[in-house]
Amino acid sequence: MTRNKLFMTVQAVLCAVIAALLAAGALSLYLDGATKQAEGDLFYYMFTRERAGAKLLPVLPLLFCAVGLTIAGVILGIRDENADKPVKDEKLLRNLGSVRERAVHQQTDQKTLTLRTAVLVIALVLIVIGIINGGLEDVLAKGAAICTECVGLG
Amino acid sequence: MDKKITRPHTRRLVQLYAALLYNANLKGFIDGHIYSGNLKAVCVPGFNCYSCPGAIASCPLGSLQNALNAAGHTAPWYVMGILALFGVILGRTICGWICPLGLIQELLHRIPTRKIRKSRITRMLSWLKYVFLVVFVVAIPLIWGVGKGVILPGFCKYICPAGTFEGAVGLLQNPANATSFYQLGALFTNKWVIMIVIGLACIFCYRSFCRFICPLGAIYGFFNRFALTGVKVNPDCCNGCGLCVMKCEMDVKHVGDHECISCGKCVSACAQGAISLKCGKITLLGPETGKNADPEPEIRKRKKAGRVAWGIAIAVLLFAVAWFNFIEPAIDRSNVPAAAVTEQPAQAGTPAGTETETVVPETEAGTQEAASGPEEKSEPAAASADLTVGTEIGNLLPDFSTELLSGETFRLSDCRGRVVIINFWGTTCAPCVAELPYYEQLKVQYPDVEILAIHNRAGAKKAQAFLEDKGWDHLDFALDSKEKGLLPLLNAADAMPQTIILDRQGVVVYNAQAPLTYEKLEVLYKQALEH
Repeated sequence: MTRNKLFMTVQAVLCAVIAALLAAGALSLYLDGATKQAEGDLFYYMFTRERAGAKLLPVLPLLFCAVGLTIAGVILGIRDENADKPVKDEKLLRNLGSVRERAVHQQTDQKTLTLRTAVLVIALVLIVIGIINGGLEDVLAKGAAICTECVGLG
Repeated sequence: MDKKITRPHTRRLVQLYAALLYNANLKGFIDGHIYSGNLKAVCVPGFNCYSCPGAIASCPLGSLQNALNAAGHTAPWYVMGILALFGVILGRTICGWICPLGLIQELLHRIPTRKIRKSRITRMLSWLKYVFLVVFVVAIPLIWGVGKGVILPGFCKYICPAGTFEGAVGLLQNPANATSFYQLGALFTNKWVIMIVIGLACIFCYRSFCRFICPLGAIYGFFNRFALTGVKVNPDCCNGCGLCVMKCEMDVKHVGDHECISCGKCVSACAQGAISLKCGKITLLGPETGKNADPEPEIRKRKKAGRVAWGIAIAVLLFAVAWFNFIEPAIDRSNVPAAAVTEQPAQAGTPAGTETETVVPETEAGTQEAASGPEEKSEPAAASADLTVGTEIGNLLPDFSTELLSGETFRLSDCRGRVVIINFWGTTCAPCVAELPYYEQLKVQYPDVEILAIHNRAGAKKAQAFLEDKGWDHLDFALDSKEKGLLPLLNAADAMPQTIILDRQGVVVYNAQAPLTYEKLEVLYKQALEH
């Protein structure tokens, strides 16, 4: 195994472990909380700053390690060399023959210009109608206050 | 061919610039409050959660779901018009250049690991985003909103990693929002795990979210073929070699199709100089005249134009940062309206419940410093005379009066001797609307409790119409406004729902941003009664 491959494997494992720990930490807090609530403790909070902090703490050294490795990898120029090579999957690229035709079509088609103008006009008309019918206020009402459910808080 | 312009760091700088501009309300990260000024009526083109403390404008996808949710009474023309406008002008160039979530995905992909390259499988998976668009963005909000009258932005609630990362984590990281932790449960766990999985996928697979999930990208993809800005091929120079498609990391079939994010990788890959990024007839990136080098004056002209554009852009960013952080106070939390206060003003600037445990379970109720003896309960005014006025547990809530929707006037001091529950809600907040029937039920069960439901100032005009057919006749409803200033007076957070419960002396015994069930509400009421 070359140095690059070893580095990338370590980094990949590290990322996977960090992700697994972060997901498992949240799941364990939830399961503990759900058990307590099922036992009748109405005011048991699944997540608190302290509990979340306690779960995050063991992940932090790994996280710093991953960040350090990433910086080192970027400095050393370590990267998957295959990523820069052209993809040569014949089935994937079977439409390539028509690229030029499509380009010609795209450039010369007067319909494109007409369509663009029509959509632009429709968009402006919709915005004006929306402002009149109160749509703008609806966006403001939603955006100006946090809906806790929408961001996943609860 | 102007090699300097095609260097990838130009795009990275633009991405960083867009992320900063979208989130110019930097003080939000410090004080834990979101920006709630009028600019939130406008959507940004990229994916940026409007509940992010830094966000200065709204998320187009969240707004679309909200508009479809409300389609029963207000047609969603405004948001559709905004999306069409962005789409026809920029198309998926937005994804490649000015989407903060795109930037995060690309940075994650920079982590040096083995990468999963595009294939027939990833191309098939790229159709998944249309399923997400139809099911979570269109069908769920429409069916639940119009059909059942329930606010349910499906994508925001169940999937959106931007909402979890920018909104939820962005708020939770601030000690000012400590009480927001109390409402975390199954929903947060689900979204947290989804965010982690998507983040991990982005490390190994280029822009996984963008390619397989993002409904906003799917929408902009519809406009890509005729968008004003995008990657264009010069047919006179193209020899159909297909190197552009082979080098592209997105699942494109040809340059400029619905998957193309105009990142410009094909521009530098094309040996014929046939591809360039254009806005109308203006060439933004790449050659104008094929593989033969552009004339020197043309290159100089473009460089000069680039410098001017960057100068203007930086000036706009500096202005935005200055405006949102130092000039425009969307909600001035230190501005307590004198007319409304009949006692000392509240302690301004401290978010509710930040320094003390906010919930008073049975076992802790007796330990509160503000606990009163039996003889004191008969003389509440005397008992409260020495208490600090404020909004935290154990504080005496500042007295205020407000006009109710019924036309009567609510005055807090008139309620002494009774338990008072003040609830902050909004018509656009699903948990708020879901818990109001519990308050109604409590009032029916315990007529002595005084319940005031204050609607957030934004969208207050529509609240009255919303309440007409709900039948919540036992509750007192009030609408907040900038003039009334109830939210800053009572130090309500930006997050809804929030509930403040006062004992019979007007002392705060509960103050938290979390939805309540009827069982919890009843327990809290009884504890406040015995306090």
